[in-house]
Order: sequence, then C-alpha cells, then structure tokens
Amino acid sequence: MLSRSVEIWLAIFFVVFAGLAVFVWAPLDSETAAIYEFRRQVSIGDAMLPMVAGGGILLFSVAHLMLQLHRQSQAEDQPPFDRATILFFVNFGGVLALSLALMFWAGPLALSLFGPTGDEPVTYRQMRSTFPWKYIGFVLGGFTLVFGLTSLIEGRIRWVRVFSAILTVLALIFIFDVPFDTTLLPPNGDF
Amino acid sequence: MSPLEYVWAGVMAVIAGPVAFEIFGLGISLTVLMVFGGFLLGVVGGATPGLSGPFLMAVSLPILLSIFGFTPDALLPVMGFLVGVMKGATVGGAVPAILFNTPGTPDAMMTTLDGYPMAQKGQAGKALRTAHFASVSGDTFSDLVLFTCAPFLAVIVEAYLGFGEKAALIILSMAFIAAVVGVSPLKGMIAAFLGLFVASIGTGEDFYGRLSLGTDVLAGGVPMIAAVMGVLILGEVLVAFENMWRDRRANVVVKETPQSGDNRLTWKERKGLMPFIGISALVGTVVGALPGIGSTLAATLGYATGDKMHKGPVKFGQGTPEGIAATEAANSAVSGSNLIPVLSLGIPGNVGAVFIILAAESIGGFNPGPTVFRFSASEVNSELVIAFGLFTAMMLANIFNWVIGGRIMAACGFMSRISSQVLLPMVLLLTLTAIYAQETSFTAIYFALAFAVLGYLLRKLRIPTLPFVIAFILAANLENAFRQAFAVSGGDPWFLFKSPLSLVFLALSVAVVIFFSRPKIPETGKAAAKEGKG
Repeated sequence: MLSRSVEIWLAIFFVVFAGLAVFVWAPLDSETAAIYEFRRQVSIGDAMLPMVAGGGILLFSVAHLMLQLHRQSQAEDQPPFDRATILFFVNFGGVLALSLALMFWAGPLALSLFGPTGDEPVTYRQMRSTFPWKYIGFVLGGFTLVFGLTSLIEGRIRWVRVFSAILTVLALIFIFDVPFDTTLLPPNGDF
Repeated sequence: MSPLEYVWAGVMAVIAGPVAFEIFGLGISLTVLMVFGGFLLGVVGGATPGLSGPFLMAVSLPILLSIFGFTPDALLPVMGFLVGVMKGATVGGAVPAILFNTPGTPDAMMTTLDGYPMAQKGQAGKALRTAHFASVSGDTFSDLVLFTCAPFLAVIVEAYLGFGEKAALIILSMAFIAAVVGVSPLKGMIAAFLGLFVASIGTGEDFYGRLSLGTDVLAGGVPMIAAVMGVLILGEVLVAFENMWRDRRANVVVKETPQSGDNRLTWKERKGLMPFIGISALVGTVVGALPGIGSTLAATLGYATGDKMHKGPVKFGQGTPEGIAATEAANSAVSGSNLIPVLSLGIPGNVGAVFIILAAESIGGFNPGPTVFRFSASEVNSELVIAFGLFTAMMLANIFNWVIGGRIMAACGFMSRISSQVLLPMVLLLTLTAIYAQETSFTAIYFALAFAVLGYLLRKLRIPTLPFVIAFILAANLENAFRQAFAVSGGDPWFLFKSPLSLVFLALSVAVVIFFSRPKIPETGKAAAKEGKG
C-alpha cells in the first residue's frame, strides 16, 4: 500500500474521473441512452456499458477513499513519483521521440534527396516495398531506439552496443520482412 | 459424431494435418513442428531473465498471424505454438533461478531457495534434473485434469446458465481476479471497471463510436493487441527501464562454482520426490483453475506444503531437491488447469491465457467458451475438433518436455547471462515492430505507448494490471450478455437479479471483494491476541 496521502489523492482522482464519465462523458457522447425505447421495444443502449463501468469506478473509489480516510498514518512509504521520474521520462521520451521521428520520416526524406529523378515525381508510397527505401526508416529509427536506450541506461557509450543494436535491427528485418510479402515494417504501412 | 470420434478427429487434426515438409517420404505435421518450435522458444526465453512466457507469446502472435493468416487452418499451428511457449517457459524459468539465483520468471522465485544452494554445493545438474522432472510431472497431471474437467464444466454451464447467469458469472470472475491479484481488492475492482470503460470507447451497436469525442482515431476503437501489449509488456518494460536507470549500477559479477558433486538423479531419488510432486501438482492444479491467482501463489503454497511434509536431513531452504520439486511441480501444474476457465467459460484467468484468447479471436472460427463443447451428433462441431486438437498439442508439448526438455534446459544456462539493459531496449523495439506488423499503422504504436504509460502508472500506483486487461477483453461478452438478458426479460430492469443462480453469483462477487478487503491482523497483533487469551 502506498502512503495514506497518495492513496487519498488517487481515490479523489478516480472519484472525479468516474463522476465526469458517468454523468457527462458517457451520456453526452453516445448515440443511444443507457436504456431507450424504439418501436415500443425497450433496449439497452450504447451508453449503458460506459455508465456501468464509470459507476463501478465511482463506487469502489469512494469506498477506497473512505477506507483511506480512516486508515492510520504509518511510516511513509517512498513516493511513487519524484523529480527523478520526470528526468527519466524527459530522457526516455527524448530518445523515443527522436527514434520514432527518424523511423517515420527518414525514408521519405532520403527518397526526396536521393531518389530517382524524372518527369514524374516518385512518391514514397510507390517505393515503400523497394530496397533500400523500405528499410531506411526502420534501420535508422530502430538503431537509435536500441542503441540510445541502452546507452541511456548504462550511462556511457560502448562500441559493442552499436553492434548489438545493428544486429537487433537486422534480426527483426529477417523475422518480420524477409519471409513475407504482405507484412510491412514501420512506417511503410502509413504511406 | 460420437465423443470418441471427436477426440480422434482432434488428434488427427494435429498429427495428420497440413504437412510442413517431408523426410524420407514421411510428412511432418505443421502443428507438431509449431508446438516443437514454441517449446524451444519457451525454454530459451524462460531461461532469459527479463523475458517471460506471456511476453514471448505476445510478440510471437503478430508474427504467427502474418505467417498463417486468418483462416481456420491457422488455429492449431498458432495455438500449438503458443501452448509450446507457455510450457517451455515454465521449465526454462528454473534455469537462472538455480544457476544464478535470478528467477527467469516470477513463479521460479521459490526455486531459488533450494536450487541456488544446491548449485553452490556443486549439484547444479541434479537441481536442474529435479526441476525438470517435477515440472513436467506437475504439468502433465494438470493437463489431464484439464482434459477431463473442462468439457464437463462447459456442458453444465451451457445447460444451466442463461444470458443473465452468464453475465453474473463474468462479473464474479472479474471480482475474483480483482480481489486476489494485488494488495487491494478495491483498487483491483477500480482497474477492472477501468478496463470495461476503455473497452467501451469506439465500440457498441450504434453508428456513432461512443466516447470517441467526435474523433476518427477513437471512433475506430482501441486496438486490442496494442492495448494488451502496451499495458502488460511495455508498462513492465518502462518500470524496468526506470529502475535500471535509477540504479545504473555495475553488472554483478557472477561467481562460478565448480560442479563436482553428484549430479545424477536416480530412479530411487525420483520415487522419493513423488509425494512432494503429487501434493504440489494437486495444489497447483486447484490454484490454476481459479481465475487470477497464478503460479506464484501456487509455488508458494506448494513449497509451504512440502516444507511441512519434509523430514530429510537437509532442511528446505538449505539446498534440498524436495524443495525444488515442491515448487516446480506446483508452478507448472498451473499452466494446464488455468485453461479450464478459458475453454469452459471463455474467461481468461491469467496473462498466458489472455494470449490464447487473443489468438482465437484474431483468427476466428474458434470462440473459447461453453459452446465449444457441444457434442453434436448430426453435424460436425469444428470448434470441438479444434479443442481436442489443442489438448493434443498440449500433450505433444509434454512429450517434448519429457524427452528433450531437460537437455535443452541444461544447454540454456548461457542465456541467463544476457544483461537486462541490453535485452530490454531490444524487447521494446521487437514489441513495437510486432504491433506494427499486425496493425500496419503508426497510430497503433501511439496507442501502445499510451497504454504503456497507463501500465507504468498502474504499476507505480500499485493497481493490478491483470483485472484491467481481463475486463478489457471480456467487455464485449459482458455487454452482449447484458443486452440479450435484458431483451429476453422483456425490458425488466431487474433482469440480473431474477434467477437464483445469478443472485448467488452476484452475492459471491460482493462476498469475495469484502472478504479479501478485510483488514489483516499483523503478526504482532495475532501474537498479542493469543497471549491475551492465554
């Protein structure tokens, strides 16, 4: 169990979320009400499940809140989040965002810079199943993700990790792409 | 078809099904090959700390679907592979637990207690043989219980439960899972209802995708594989990343102990282990049949029971084969019986079972649940043939385990040395690629990452993830049961409380949450209470 104050804030968050879900979001954002009548037949509408779900969250978060309010404060546990959490997510998110951006855009960018030229402009969609264009984004993005995260966790850059990252990307190409004609590596399905 | 003919058809669907290749004119069945492949992957993956059976099943599924497509012919090879992984990972998890005091899977934690001391005494080989013998014995026993119980339970459910009772039974299962997983049943219930809520986004019967806020992204619903893998796998990876990043400590140098002791496991010794294996297999089977409890508790209970039975010179915890046998038989016995609720009720009881259901739902043509076991004589129930084919695949995996499992285990020791900081980034890329291969859209990756953050938050806030995932998967069935029960009752708002059986299920749901929520008396309090009485 987390510290009393964290549990109370958690319960309050769920009470507010569930209240909004049951009384605002679910009824206003569904086509049919929880129970509706159509041609003299009463049926369960689309709003029922989210309202039941929200009602359940509301019920149990109120019960949790009550229990926590009556709980005696004990020696405080470590808080679940601290400044290091934010720092971690900034670092991790940075590597992840860079990797995904490279994965998505490197192929189209490379094609526009080094692709075949002619009267008709060649689109990435036309080349997405063609070597080497189909691998550029995945190789660059995948390598950045694996190598970047390993280096981030280890706190240093090692050449051996460069090789393991390259091997990982190559292995995934051999697993997901080489044997299949229909499977698309990221980001080729989006073009 | 008679019941025996159904059983035989299931066996033949595996043995004499589509052929992968021929050796000297003899066709090798594709399903047999896939079970073997899954088993190999499971043992190697289980022996690698940081990987686990469910993770391997999760990343294998999109690849398998790419290979086999979405036709009914794909069901047995795909599910056979997943079953092989599940069984292989259970035995593989014992390898690093014994050799390096690092459990490869959470349920191998108790194996370290006696396995590692035995390895330090130079008896690693004997410890591995004991773990293998106990594990495969427990697993086989559990499978036999599954084969006999699941059809009967399904027939009873189908005969006596209407829509209202089925809805109440799903509620009871969710309440039970929420109550027994994690430290707080109330938080478990919140997680379960949150799973239902998320599952209702973009779904429903109306043209407009409910809770979509008018956006196309949400109107299409939440991709199931992205959500399940995000919460279960990527959430765990995120927490592990953060912990390693915080620690950033030097790799622990593994000290090798020369293995010079008696490493054989004689038939006499195996006979001596049988009482421990028998009791633990029974404990594991019973625990496994209850949704949500899982193999870690089974291992703990098996170990505690074995400890009470043990009268040998070496005590439990100091390196005795009986300790390993009691643990491994119990945690392996879970893997068969936890398919009882899946096949007889359509309710996944643990993470491994979630992926069996996902495979069946993705491919189609097989809907795990009571309707599978309709022994219709006039027409062939193909789902029943698949079910018996699945049982055959499980037995095949056991045979592979008996024959070569021990040798593969012994050869997998080197996998235990792969460090997590190298492995986990690879796991992240592998998972994202697997999700993309299935959904072919970056949106699915964004969904998976969003659910990874949700899984991370749930873990950090000590809210169990399993109730969330299982409720997410069962939401469609629950809503369907609600709608049909309501329609059958003629629009009676009390439709859920009309039958005595559904009332019993609902009362049990409330009771189970209250029972597990009651404040626990600390040990000091118990001692004081005893002294007070005395």
